Amino acid sequence: MANMVTITVDGATIRVPEGTSVLDAALEAGICIPNLCHMPGVEPIGACRVCIVEVVQGNRRKMTASCTLEAREGMVVEAHSEAVLRARRNIVELLLAEAPNSRAIQDLAARVGVTKSRYPMRNKDCVLCGRCVRVCDEVWQSRSLGFVGRGKDRRVALPFDERPETCKRCNACIDVCPMTITPCPGPMKEGGICGLCESQVTMVENIGDTCVWCELGRGFQCARWQLRGLLAPA
Amino acid sequence: MELEWNRLDEILEGRGGEGFDVIEVLQDIQGSYDYLPEEALRRVSASFGLPLIEVFQLASFYKAFSLEPRGRHLVTACLGTACHVRGGSRFLDEILGQLGVQPGETTEDGAFTVETVNCLGACALAPVVVVDGTYYDHMTPAKLRQLLEAVRAQDLEVVASA
Amino acid sequence: MPRLPNAAALASLRKELKEDDQAWPIRVTLSSGTCGQASGSIAVLRALEESLQEEGLTDKVHLRVTGCHGFCQQEPLMIVEPPDVLYCSVKPEDVPEIVTETLVKANVVERLLFAGPASDRRTRREADLPFFSKQDRDLIGQNRFIDPCDIRDYIAHGGYSALAEVLTSVSPEEVIEQVKASGLRGRGGGGYPTGKKWEQCRAAPGDAHYVICNADEGDPGAYMDRGLLEGNPHLILEGMMIGAYAIGSRQGYVYVRNEYPLAVSHIHTAIDQAREFGLLGEAILGSEFSFDVRVARGGGAFVCGESTALMASLEGHVGEPRPKDVHTVERGYRDQPTNLNNVETWANVPRIILNGPDWFAGKGTDKSKGTKIFALTGHVKNTGLVEVEMGTTLQEIIFDIGGGPQNGKQIKAVQTGGPSGGCLPVSRFSLPVDFEALAEAGSMMGSGGMVVMDDSACMVDVARYFLKFLQDESCGKCVPCRIGIDRMLEILTDFAEGRGTPEQLDLLEDLAWTVTVGSLCALGKTAANPVLSTLRYFRDEYEAHINEKRCPAGVCRALVHYRIDPDLCVQCGECIEACPHDAISEDGDQIEIEDSLCHKCGICQEMCPSEAISKA
Repeated sequence: MANMVTITVDGATIRVPEGTSVLDAALEAGICIPNLCHMPGVEPIGACRVCIVEVVQGNRRKMTASCTLEAREGMVVEAHSEAVLRARRNIVELLLAEAPNSRAIQDLAARVGVTKSRYPMRNKDCVLCGRCVRVCDEVWQSRSLGFVGRGKDRRVALPFDERPETCKRCNACIDVCPMTITPCPGPMKEGGICGLCESQVTMVENIGDTCVWCELGRGFQCARWQLRGLLAPA
Repeated sequence: MELEWNRLDEILEGRGGEGFDVIEVLQDIQGSYDYLPEEALRRVSASFGLPLIEVFQLASFYKAFSLEPRGRHLVTACLGTACHVRGGSRFLDEILGQLGVQPGETTEDGAFTVETVNCLGACALAPVVVVDGTYYDHMTPAKLRQLLEAVRAQDLEVVASA
Repeated sequence: MPRLPNAAALASLRKELKEDDQAWPIRVTLSSGTCGQASGSIAVLRALEESLQEEGLTDKVHLRVTGCHGFCQQEPLMIVEPPDVLYCSVKPEDVPEIVTETLVKANVVERLLFAGPASDRRTRREADLPFFSKQDRDLIGQNRFIDPCDIRDYIAHGGYSALAEVLTSVSPEEVIEQVKASGLRGRGGGGYPTGKKWEQCRAAPGDAHYVICNADEGDPGAYMDRGLLEGNPHLILEGMMIGAYAIGSRQGYVYVRNEYPLAVSHIHTAIDQAREFGLLGEAILGSEFSFDVRVARGGGAFVCGESTALMASLEGHVGEPRPKDVHTVERGYRDQPTNLNNVETWANVPRIILNGPDWFAGKGTDKSKGTKIFALTGHVKNTGLVEVEMGTTLQEIIFDIGGGPQNGKQIKAVQTGGPSGGCLPVSRFSLPVDFEALAEAGSMMGSGGMVVMDDSACMVDVARYFLKFLQDESCGKCVPCRIGIDRMLEILTDFAEGRGTPEQLDLLEDLAWTVTVGSLCALGKTAANPVLSTLRYFRDEYEAHINEKRCPAGVCRALVHYRIDPDLCVQCGECIEACPHDAISEDGDQIEIEDSLCHKCGICQEMCPSEAISKA
């Protein structure tokens, strides 16, 4: 029987086995912490930073990603403080300006209340969430693709851009990619998401921070949504 | 181009005991072949039992490694802060004008490869340019032009006599 | 050389070596670190060796080749004793005269002495150099006495006596108490109390404890660690050994930048020699302490200076940082308790043991003890490695030691702490070098880089320079750093190229805050500092770029225009030839610069013999 620890997230007391991440603990308890690179069954990497939270110790507050944060006895976490909400919005805004044509990112934007971007829009196909790499490495144990390069030039690639023999052709990399979820057909607004997504923002404002298996979860393949057994893209 | 692999076998011998060995092996290959040939990386992957993608990752992450063959002469311009405030970025202009290439590129005739480095630690002598391992201090565009012309002249002689 | 079986053997070897050293009638010291070599010291060395042969002096002259002395601008330096004289910027042609006059006749060659710009008085002895007078050269001052490639010099100079003391009469816990009491804080930039770190590491459970020396000095403009590692590698090894003993470690690593080939070579030599003498390996000096060190060369990645990235690299992976919610003293290299310290931090340890913690704590300010080496560079008269007591003011360092501005210009700012640090204006030069004082002012001590800037530097350009650097060096894993830095750079480029809007200033501040709180590692978390500090102190420059499309310092290329004054132009055509972008041509009887082709590099202006080219 594993050791259990008790933590507090947004005022709610949660008991989880030692070693559980704060994000998993919160999601299981029904608190929605939006996330993108998180995926059940693989190691968290803390790359997207959407799931950031504040850890409160006395008057010291430290912002860190909840997916890589191990729950420790007595930890106090705030996932929806003003600072966290501002940071999360800004991070998603950066993502939106990189890849506005991704349904996953549009849903994420609606979930955190971002309707437009103050940056010039780009149109990338990949936001380096690493889901494909991790599913290949850890679930299928193929180790056929990975991150190469550094910084701005970091990208997902096959070695020497050739499919290696170790590739099992399982297509899992494509299945878990948030960019392959067909964006909604609504017209994009200048520097922003379309009216249909904007209406989702109103829904979000009404349902607050708890998870009610909202339709947005389907977009960014939220873990809780996946637990529902409905993994298929729209 | 045929490459001989004896050197590679020597480099690989006895390596693999500690994690860092693979990076050291790549550094030795870079030093010996002046770049990392694809075949060498495949052999390293096989020898260490590491997935090819991991070896490729290492080769592409660290700036010390080059996946393309380098030119006969390496020109490195230092872009450290001290060099920058003393006009270091102008060397890139001069190099572009003289050699027609950007950092990271090699001239078509294979004579020069140009690179930049973010600090050599010789800041009191800024701005610094390194050519074929020799440091040149207090450089100016004029001095650099003369230096490149001298190296090119020497190179043409060597190539002609080969 | 047989292994030293115990501390007594070490002590008697030291005595012997000291006596041997005194026996030489003439001693010549030549500085030949990276700076020295870049200034031609190898040729001087060859000339000296030849000359000594010819004059039949090789038996009488002890020639010692050392690392950097810190007075980098006047390299190569040569000291001759007797009569204890320092010669600056020595050339091979000077050597015959030096040999016949000074070595043989003990006469001084006046023209090679250091001459300050203001006075005709020349300085004879290195110790009397005005550059050194306000410095406390406890660490870097040792370089002058030591040939880094000969362990015997280090031993003769007192080396490894701290280790001997520790191994024979101080317990590991006591060592930690002494380091704690000294107040030594990390010299790599973090400023974490060293003794506390050692204590935490020792207490952490694990199968093996590791100690690492972070010699991946990546801050551009900072080269203190190179000076120490190249010039006195044994000092660092001794520090590491004492730390390893205190923490309970048997294996250490020195992770050193690939771009420092001399330092790499010298640390390898030092380790080999230490092993020969039994100072590394099993049962050191007859004690129960066994320890060995391996050298790992960096692969050209600034991010590997970050401790978790360094450890990842050491494990054979790419240098990607991991979150530090669990510190490396608990789970570091190979997930084991690991103590990582900077080169200068390790270098301070032997003296703390020998002189006692109170000696160290007696220097500096309330919270920042001891001395710190700074790399003083940029637009200042005397550049080089400067070691001062903590608490010395920026004013003293830049003006008294550094000699103030060059070329009659005005100093505008000083950049400290590298890409994680910030720019401070002249109005803040009364600040002491102290961890907290500099951080409060919006900069940071960092590893010791100190770049002085006069009014020819544009602060918007400086911020942009650091962002470009960080964009190049970011590992790219996390969104705030990879995309955030890119967007900050995009905005600053808009400013520099005349497209800036006031709204972008607000956006920049919001973005800077986001990058700071959201990034995974310290590279990202401090990436906004150059932007924030220049915004804080030099907002007027930003506003000029945005509102007036003007660069006050005349640096931002898109906002300056070069023109040729037809009245001054002598039609020599030098500029046409010099222009790397083919932007200048003859148009009828005038020579003109085509603005759309001009890259504003300024090379034409430099080449013009009649000063006819100016920028507006």
